Amino acid sequence: MSTRWWAAACVVLATAGCTNDKGGGEQAIVLHPPTDVTSLGQPDHPIAGPQGAVPQFVVECAYSHAAPDDPIVAPGEFGAAHLHAFFGNTTTDANSTIDSLFAGDTTCDQRADLAAYWAPALLRGAEVLRPVKSTAYYRPGIDVDPKSVQPYPKGLVMIAGNAAAEEPQPLSIVAWGCGTGIARAVEPPECAQDRNLRLIVTFPDCWDGDNLDSPSHKSHIAYSSGGDCPEGYPVPIPQLQFSVEYPVWGATDDLMLSSGGLLTGHADFMNAWTPERMQMEVELCLHREVVCGIASGRTSG
Amino acid sequence: MTVNAMTINAMTINAMTINGGEHQMTRKILAAATAVAFLLAACSDDEEGGSSGTESTAAGTSATDAPETTAAEAENVRQVPDEYDTIQAAVDASAPGDLVLVGPGTYNEAVQVATDDLTIRGLDRNEVILDGNFELDNGIRVLGANHVAVENMTAMNYTKNGFFWTGVDGYRGSYLTAYRTGDYGVYAFDSINGQIDHIYAAGSPDAGVYIGECYPCNAVVSDVVSEYNGLGYSGTNSGGNLLIVNSTWRYNRAGIVPNSGSYELCYPERETTIVGNIVHGNNNGETPAIDVALLAMGNGIVVPGGVLNTIERNLVYDHDKGGISLVPFPEEDPNDAIPGEDEWTVSCEEAKQQMPVDPGDLVIWESMRNRVVGNVLEDNRHADLLVAAVTVDASTLGHCFADNTFTTSAPNNIETLAPCTADGVGVGSGDWADGKYDILSWLGEEHPPSVDWKTATLPELQPQENMPDAATAPARPANDVPMQVDLASIVVPTKPAG
Repeated sequence: MSTRWWAAACVVLATAGCTNDKGGGEQAIVLHPPTDVTSLGQPDHPIAGPQGAVPQFVVECAYSHAAPDDPIVAPGEFGAAHLHAFFGNTTTDANSTIDSLFAGDTTCDQRADLAAYWAPALLRGAEVLRPVKSTAYYRPGIDVDPKSVQPYPKGLVMIAGNAAAEEPQPLSIVAWGCGTGIARAVEPPECAQDRNLRLIVTFPDCWDGDNLDSPSHKSHIAYSSGGDCPEGYPVPIPQLQFSVEYPVWGATDDLMLSSGGLLTGHADFMNAWTPERMQMEVELCLHREVVCGIASGRTSG
Repeated sequence: MTVNAMTINAMTINAMTINGGEHQMTRKILAAATAVAFLLAACSDDEEGGSSGTESTAAGTSATDAPETTAAEAENVRQVPDEYDTIQAAVDASAPGDLVLVGPGTYNEAVQVATDDLTIRGLDRNEVILDGNFELDNGIRVLGANHVAVENMTAMNYTKNGFFWTGVDGYRGSYLTAYRTGDYGVYAFDSINGQIDHIYAAGSPDAGVYIGECYPCNAVVSDVVSEYNGLGYSGTNSGGNLLIVNSTWRYNRAGIVPNSGSYELCYPERETTIVGNIVHGNNNGETPAIDVALLAMGNGIVVPGGVLNTIERNLVYDHDKGGISLVPFPEEDPNDAIPGEDEWTVSCEEAKQQMPVDPGDLVIWESMRNRVVGNVLEDNRHADLLVAAVTVDASTLGHCFADNTFTTSAPNNIETLAPCTADGVGVGSGDWADGKYDILSWLGEEHPPSVDWKTATLPELQPQENMPDAATAPARPANDVPMQVDLASIVVPTKPAG
């Protein structure tokens, strides 16, 4: 159905100071293609609109670093992924594990959030655009009983969106917007000056209760519908909406994602919140149905 | 803000596609191995990996000097650090009605409160210091716990807020100092029935004091000094028996700024009563500042898109733009359409049930039907009294002005154009085009950029007034708020010396 493209390349990791340079010499690297997996289900509608209507806790993270690494899809294989922009944990690379993340630091304003967040890099021509920041909104899934939401298990990994998509993805999972507005589009819109372009990716909110990961990296999690989790995914978890903000206004015709065309938006998450804090946020904010914080109005981090 | 695209100086990987018909092409994949340049060298202090809100150290505390007979002897008093090492531990041990009494010391805590009817009090406002060290988020955050009062302490260096109530019915913050915080100093969101009094707030990019997303709010802000913030007071989408009285708002970018906007719920901002305040010198381009603060700079009391507010008997002087400015708020990338006047009575709770719609790229919230009476204004250099509109003729906005002491207005002769009657709007006369204010040129101006809140120059923290009888007063949860304010007795303040 869709074209899987495999590629190989011999890469010289010669850039001075490259943190991922494990040998300094030449390495044969298998480039992994963007993963082509469709999630089970999708949110009932795009999650957009004024903040303050539903319970949430929010974490804003500065951009950390970029690398062609993917510890979920290509663990241990440095340089084997398309270029990713990393947020949150400052140590994320191909070798990252939950333990290594817990030994790292974070760019997030919530210091107990040592999770690794990443998205494909956005390019303008040959130039990699440095993101302004990311915002992670954690909420109950649409119409899900907030009191039923359970903290993420330590070490849960998730991918949302289809990195190999050739058709528009559901706006409820992957969308683009300007500033913090309600409008959602399948490809980057032309934003007004100072209204940063945003990629908005919404993660599954139901878990199978057993597996921190799965061969497809998606079949252990699913989206709720009508407020209920589907069969086989009995555990409601917070719905993570991850948004990346870029200093991009105006024309978008020379933009592309490192994973391919502009339709390949996706994002990845490795849960390395300190478990006590994650549980506290879920209980205090979601169970008590409180807006625990609002993403700030600043356009710059 | 300027964010430069990072130009990758790394190599390109020429990756050949192996199979694939129309996809046969060489893809250049930027491999950009250069993470390093942007790795935060922050690899940090020994505390990494878990400095969450419950961890804390009460550094340098000494035994309290409280007198022998104190509130501390009552059964429901939890003493920090004598009985509990941290404020959080005392809060967690508390039952509704308890008093957490905090002795002098520096507390590196982000305290979370989820128990109703607590009173959390410092023994000395100037010596009980909550310090976020630029890492912790909120000094004290009250989450859906009703009637919690926080009294007589200082919070500084928090990445979010000094003192924060959200989702509560009943709150009070008294004799609090908030200094150098990443969002707000003292902050109530989605909360009703409250009181914020005897506050000193400095060094926030947003507002020193903020009440947002409530209608009717039923709250009082009184006896505040707010300076060197982006905004002195901000109140987005709040109002309904909300009084801002007897306070000083100075040396911010802008002074008192109630505004409407669809980025949060419960629009429009409405029915805020602003009486007896001193508002001066809000032209400070050296503060940290969010976007609204950049735009509002140089105004004393400015109401971007607010409606049905009452602004009476304030002293407003020394502003580059307007003393009292009733102006539109242009909102790019909005989150909902602007409600019509027939929806201004919708409560916040009802508004939460409504589905927003996409209104397009831009909405303009016109400020309407505000009442400006008996204020004293001088040296506000665009105009003492200022009215502007974008989408309609300003004569249709329904504002009224009476009995103000002023020199200039835009348009000219504003009290003749838009007079007030005793309880409403009179019939005006005159030419609204005479001296009409050019709001579009204001919106197009360059503004001094924001300064990092962590390093902005602030006045040195001076000793602030303590609450009376901190050591002996019994617990006083916030179930008697807001206090009664005799608005009629408030007179225009006199100008402070200097």
